[in-house]
Amino acid sequence: MNGKLKTILLPVVMLVFAFVFASVLMRLTGNNPLLAFGAMIQGAFGNPSAIINTLNRAVPICICAFAVSFTRECGIFNIGIEGQLMIGALGSTIAGIYITGLPLAVHLPLTLIVGMLFGMIWAALPAAMFIERKVNIIVLFLFMNNIASYILQYFIFGPMKGAGAAMPSTDLIQESARFPYLITSPNKLSTAFFLVFAVAAILYVYIHKTFGGYELRATGKNRVAARYAGIPVKKYMYLSVLGPGALAGLAGSIEIQSKYFRLIDGFSPGYGWDGIPIALLSNGNPVAIILGSILFAAMHVGSSNMQMQAGVSSLIVEVIQGFLVLSVAMERFYRYILSRPGRKKEG
Amino acid sequence: MRNTESAARVSAVDMRQILKTFPGVVANDRIDFSVEKGEIHALIGENGAGKTTLMNILYGLYHPTSGSIYLDGEERQFTSPIDAINAGVGMVHQHFMLIPALTVAENIVLGCEPRKKVVFDYKAAVSGVEEICSQYNFTVNPREKTANISLGMQQKVEIIKALYRGAEILIFDEPTAVLTPQEIEELGRVLQDLKAVGKTIILITHKLKEVMAFSDRITVLRSGKKIKTVNTADTTAEEVTYLMVGRHVDLAGNRMATKAKENILEVRDLCLEEKGKQLLKNVSFDMRRGEILGVAGIDGSGQNELSDIIAGFRKATGGTIQYMGRNLLSEQTRTIRERGVGLIPQSRHEQGLVLTMNIAENLILGHPQRKRFIKNRVFLNNAQIEMFARERVDSFQIKTPGLRVEASKLSGGNQQKIICARETGETSEMIIANQPTRGMDIGSIEQIHKVFMDARNTGKSVLMISLELDEVMSLSDRIMVMHNGEVMDIIDAATATREQIGLMMVGHVPVPQEKRCPDEW
Repeated sequence: MNGKLKTILLPVVMLVFAFVFASVLMRLTGNNPLLAFGAMIQGAFGNPSAIINTLNRAVPICICAFAVSFTRECGIFNIGIEGQLMIGALGSTIAGIYITGLPLAVHLPLTLIVGMLFGMIWAALPAAMFIERKVNIIVLFLFMNNIASYILQYFIFGPMKGAGAAMPSTDLIQESARFPYLITSPNKLSTAFFLVFAVAAILYVYIHKTFGGYELRATGKNRVAARYAGIPVKKYMYLSVLGPGALAGLAGSIEIQSKYFRLIDGFSPGYGWDGIPIALLSNGNPVAIILGSILFAAMHVGSSNMQMQAGVSSLIVEVIQGFLVLSVAMERFYRYILSRPGRKKEG
Repeated sequence: MRNTESAARVSAVDMRQILKTFPGVVANDRIDFSVEKGEIHALIGENGAGKTTLMNILYGLYHPTSGSIYLDGEERQFTSPIDAINAGVGMVHQHFMLIPALTVAENIVLGCEPRKKVVFDYKAAVSGVEEICSQYNFTVNPREKTANISLGMQQKVEIIKALYRGAEILIFDEPTAVLTPQEIEELGRVLQDLKAVGKTIILITHKLKEVMAFSDRITVLRSGKKIKTVNTADTTAEEVTYLMVGRHVDLAGNRMATKAKENILEVRDLCLEEKGKQLLKNVSFDMRRGEILGVAGIDGSGQNELSDIIAGFRKATGGTIQYMGRNLLSEQTRTIRERGVGLIPQSRHEQGLVLTMNIAENLILGHPQRKRFIKNRVFLNNAQIEMFARERVDSFQIKTPGLRVEASKLSGGNQQKIICARETGETSEMIIANQPTRGMDIGSIEQIHKVFMDARNTGKSVLMISLELDEVMSLSDRIMVMHNGEVMDIIDAATATREQIGLMMVGHVPVPQEKRCPDEW
């Protein structure tokens, strides 16, 4: 009962509270929340084209959520995904532009791998400082995110500045580094979509079905006991930061190779940040991560329609997200509320 | 219900037909329990016998399902500990509830602080505490920070705290669990003083030695039922144990002569220095095959550091360790375990178990033959894991509803059995046991002692570190006494006396051949 309570009921209640809170805000500012959410749903799922938009948007969010969730299995809170995603995108842009003459079957995966490597390298420094020298990893991740964003700007405005583009961006990557489309009508759905399921399956099997995953979980749940048991704790801590670094790089690469085909300043609307509340709410359940990512993607995609139709600022999505992060931090409070009706009389 | 006994003698506490049920469990099955004014009454029983539940009812934490409570002949109903405190019931908890950053006086008055209008009156607090101290002969400095005082002192602070709130009935929950032999004697004196001024004392404990020494009467509970109340003077420790467990127990196990005499472990001049502190100073000793080497010493004498270094997760700053003829000092914990060293760490929750993982997962944690549990190179072999776990659970009689139950759901004794089951398997040649039976009931202690004795009898070795002097003395072949990071002496357990060891534990250099007078205490 307790396990089920945590994995299903708790996140649902948190989501409901978040939407109720957003509704109250809308009401206070003189809007109709029903109308607004109706417009949001319409914008996200109202027609096949919108649905495809939502799905495309969900792909990087979902991979980021899996990345955060994987680090969490080892007991570490990962807020460095955003920076690693940017550096990963830089890596795949470099490989996509400057490696030429390869067939798609080689160039596409190679470019992805370069992006993943870049993401992993970006995670390596905070990982080493945290694991070897016990530096606060939250602070390290925050610094690295900022640095990543400036490095990206340097390359976009500097050495990799694209010729004749309207907005600040690089040149286009080679055709051979681009994901083919699964369908192009009524909207373009990229084959990158399938990578989500591959990532979900690989992570699930690793964490729950392999001995390494078992030792990783033990490390995450009690690092001291794991060390006393002779488990190579450092190895698993590196794995749980570097692996998600590669996943973040993958998410960045997918954005470049399936959507923009070039590196644009500010291309990520915060996928790495979206991943955090999803990972926390889903508590490691892969199905919940996928559903949560679609929900977050739908909020982002639908919010512009909401702004047009109902006049509610699309920033309300940020409010909902912030409320969710707060809710996760207040988990004990929610548990208390949920446990009250069934409380045993103790006098 | 009316008090049918003669009015001449009214009990300080009279609990009648107390029934307390939790979903699926009857914790107290119509227990009658009465304590006379001014007596020391021991309430004993194994873990889960219901003694803590009964006392929590008296202290107002639980409400009984049925039954009634009379204090001095008057029926009472407590809805919270506040009611109980107001009625003169005080509790001295096993884990002291003190705030380290506050001074002794501040801790004592916490919750009913003297005030000057709205401001906390610290001077009044100090003088109030001093008054109680002089009344009961306590030597406690009220202005001292609680973080700086010893555990024995902290316990006194807890007692003063209860007295400050006007307690007439004092409940002590496992009061000697963390004390040294000297502090235990001191506590005995305090209890007698309290009794002399007419306080009523209830001792919850499972340590028979103190029960026999301190109490006037003993009430034994077993599986939620009251078995018997006896006068301490008319009974023996053996009888009480029998009442508690329901069968005869033999804590010392069956010691058989072992032939092997070669050393399994040779420690030479082991030193550990951290942050300018000498935690271990030239520790040297040998351990033979087929031997239980007990390590006695007050908490923090270097025992934990020693076991940590042998198990490989602290690095010594000097010295050597030879294990079965090979150097052990530069090895990783995993390699050390693969060579047959089992480790029962001192803190089962922090170091021994992953509480949020299930029992099967905990039973294979760091198992030296992990290949057994892997199939196709990387995957968990669940069939093997469950077979292994089933065998361990059965042979250690771990009480659990299933193998896939979280370790946190089990009682402390059963949790400790998981660790013992894991660390004392056929692969271990040497077992380092640090406080292996802390907080366990007699039945489980007996079982773990038997495991150690069996290991010893089959030529394995056990390094048994314990704060329980009785345990060390009854189980060991030889006893190593540590004080302040040094080995004071290693003596033969057959001829060692409590006094001899107690003196070395507090730093007296052993004087062989000469008997010390008891009045030197």
